[in-house]
Amino acid sequence: MMKEFFRYTSDPYRAISEWKDASKKKVVGVFPMWLPEEIIHASGMLPVVMWRSNEAITWGYAHVPSYNCPMNKSVVDDAVKGKLKFMDGMVFLRECLQSQEVPYIIENNACPPFEEYLYLPPIYHGDKASKGFTRDEFEKLRAGLEKFTGEKITDEKLRESIRIYNRNRSLLRRLYEIRREKPGILKGRDILRIVWASMLMPKEEHSKLLEKLISELEKKDYVQAKGKKVFLSGCLCIHPQLELMDMIEALGMLVVDDDIYVGYRYFANDAQLTDDPIGAMVERYFIKTPVDPAKGEVELHWGDELVEKVKKVGAEGIITLLTKYCPPHLCYYPDIKVKLADAGIPEVLIEVEHEIISLEGIRTRLQSFKEMIGGV
Amino acid sequence: MSVEYKLNRLDTSGVGPLVDKHWRELREAKEKGMKVAWSSGPLFVYSYATPNMASHFMAGYAAYCGGRKMADEVLEAAEKYGELRDTCSYHRLHTGMMAMIANDWPVTDPRVILPLPDLLISGRFCTEMSHYMEAIYRRFGVKAVIIELPVARKTEDLPRIEKYVTDQVKETLIPAIEKTSGSKFNEDNLRRIFRDWKETCIIRNKCWEFLKRKPALWTLWDYGVSIAPIFYAMGKPESHAYYVNLLEQLEERAAKNIPAVHPDGEKYRLYWDGWLPWAFLGKFLRLMVPHGAIPISGRYPWEFFPYPEDINPEADDIIHEWIRVLYTSPNRLAYHDGPWGGKEHIEKLLEEYSIDGMLFFSSKTCRMWNLGQLDIIDKIERKYGIPGIVIEGDMIDSSMVSEDQLRTRIEALLEMIDARRR
Repeated sequence: MMKEFFRYTSDPYRAISEWKDASKKKVVGVFPMWLPEEIIHASGMLPVVMWRSNEAITWGYAHVPSYNCPMNKSVVDDAVKGKLKFMDGMVFLRECLQSQEVPYIIENNACPPFEEYLYLPPIYHGDKASKGFTRDEFEKLRAGLEKFTGEKITDEKLRESIRIYNRNRSLLRRLYEIRREKPGILKGRDILRIVWASMLMPKEEHSKLLEKLISELEKKDYVQAKGKKVFLSGCLCIHPQLELMDMIEALGMLVVDDDIYVGYRYFANDAQLTDDPIGAMVERYFIKTPVDPAKGEVELHWGDELVEKVKKVGAEGIITLLTKYCPPHLCYYPDIKVKLADAGIPEVLIEVEHEIISLEGIRTRLQSFKEMIGGV
Repeated sequence: MSVEYKLNRLDTSGVGPLVDKHWRELREAKEKGMKVAWSSGPLFVYSYATPNMASHFMAGYAAYCGGRKMADEVLEAAEKYGELRDTCSYHRLHTGMMAMIANDWPVTDPRVILPLPDLLISGRFCTEMSHYMEAIYRRFGVKAVIIELPVARKTEDLPRIEKYVTDQVKETLIPAIEKTSGSKFNEDNLRRIFRDWKETCIIRNKCWEFLKRKPALWTLWDYGVSIAPIFYAMGKPESHAYYVNLLEQLEERAAKNIPAVHPDGEKYRLYWDGWLPWAFLGKFLRLMVPHGAIPISGRYPWEFFPYPEDINPEADDIIHEWIRVLYTSPNRLAYHDGPWGGKEHIEKLLEEYSIDGMLFFSSKTCRMWNLGQLDIIDKIERKYGIPGIVIEGDMIDSSMVSEDQLRTRIEALLEMIDARRR
């Protein structure tokens, strides 16, 4: 069953295209990290979360400066190379300073048949104005999709999609529980592939496979794995390189939990099943945890959240994966570092770009970190 | 170069005492029992209109420090404090200054030190602006009020966003200002500021007409250093006097036929996109003027209230009036700030100011505009045949500005213009 997860994450372009050919359904790419995929799912199309591509940026640099977000560079590069032609639609959002301008480039160079852009606001006050505006944006997406497909997206369909998504999220949370209970039961790269596959393949199929896998893992004899327990944090919008996950383990560390986007952040919260499904998705959007530095929450501190999580799972340190040129994380990082230092939690910062910056340099840093947390 | 081009600099020296006074008053505000608000983005007007509240405009402070060559020391303090270099240099400047205060670090020029704020206001055109407010809140516990100001993708979105912003301002910002200042929001004062500001901007717009002339009588840089009087010193008598004087100078130049560039005026009229490089204005000019090139117009400096006739100081809902100007007046800053409206705005400026070439300044630490710049250049070149280049750097961080790169690219642009003229 891992094979299917591998197939999607080894070559998402081909796997999704094959699914599209077989199902005769349409595919809509959604920009990370907050768009309500359930609305697209309820329209009968497959929402797939856009990903960091599998080759070096080339043509994209004719449109995006090198000192810009790796996710933006990747999506633009893929789009202008024609690699995303299988997407019938794309949905973008105002999430950060940089992401808000990506659709301009897409529209000018590789516009899909359906395109939408949501002005999703920060959640600071959770005020009436912001919630009302968010609701209007979700309704705008719903109306746009209805016009594109010619099919009504009823509340009933939305509730069903929420149910399917909640189910998948709860299974992923169960997988993480198992990892916390039995560190090392799956390799870091496998966990990453499972979560990433959930963003690429139909949730119904993913959940079926995941149910089987969980059932097997629950029965499987577990031998205590050796290694220092670490917590992975950050990596907003993009997935970390699989080689990085391998390196952490090869150096004698075990990832026991994370708050990365292609990880716990993606499936942390459910939407409630209520009579008002759009309202339920709005409420989900306004949930303040895991603290999201791009969403603008000031009452809670990401550093406090990390300290609590690290203590809870018994990790001995934190590996911060900072997506290069990501202002929300860049601006927050110094405060996290102080909180962790005050709590006596060792931490190491690794910058993650579209391509690996320097594998050897990262190895040295991680090796020193491992020694710092007491390993040899 | 057969002709020896030199700049006939306009006398903008009046701005120095004016901005020094503004910042001095801010530094003295607490001693006078006033509250201090730090504000970023256009919602600055609301705290500015509050009589017992001194308002610090964060981008203005960055320009002030950059222009006075005080920025590098503060940026170093920020780095010592733990800030990462890829963040906005305006952000680092503020957190660096606060780190200097908190740690009592020595400072060469005490003018960089401002009083700690009682209230932070972010008009979130730029999301990173809000991130530095959040950081200050986390570190120093200062109340932060952050108002979402989305940049619009489509003009039909503008009325809906305008309503959302108005609701936020009334629901959240005004009560926070009232609570911090301890007084009811002063609408009359806001009206007075709008009236005086409008009058000054009408004079400023007359000055702009002299940029349209060929040869131009002044440069974008002259205007750049003259922004403070119509922005963070808006509505003050000395600001009005400054522009009266500027207009008189320009009228005199027009009468005597004195161009901005000696001896016979500019050879190349350039459009400048992006922030002004506050700490390096002289450096950039020295790379342009010897070729007879000068910046004439630009999107960012033109954003500072370009259509004063749009504002109605007598509007029934004066709080909403400013947001209306931002979103649904012909100015529509909230549309022109994004690449969709930006392209449209640039096209208009190119025509009005008879531009020969475009310089797109791409800040390595402020990514507000640089994602769409390459596509905008491509579209405009194809449509109008006006060449454009991107130059990389920063507004105030000298570690990110390479003179050789600037020289090579500026010369390449001028060669392209020459080639198209042949």
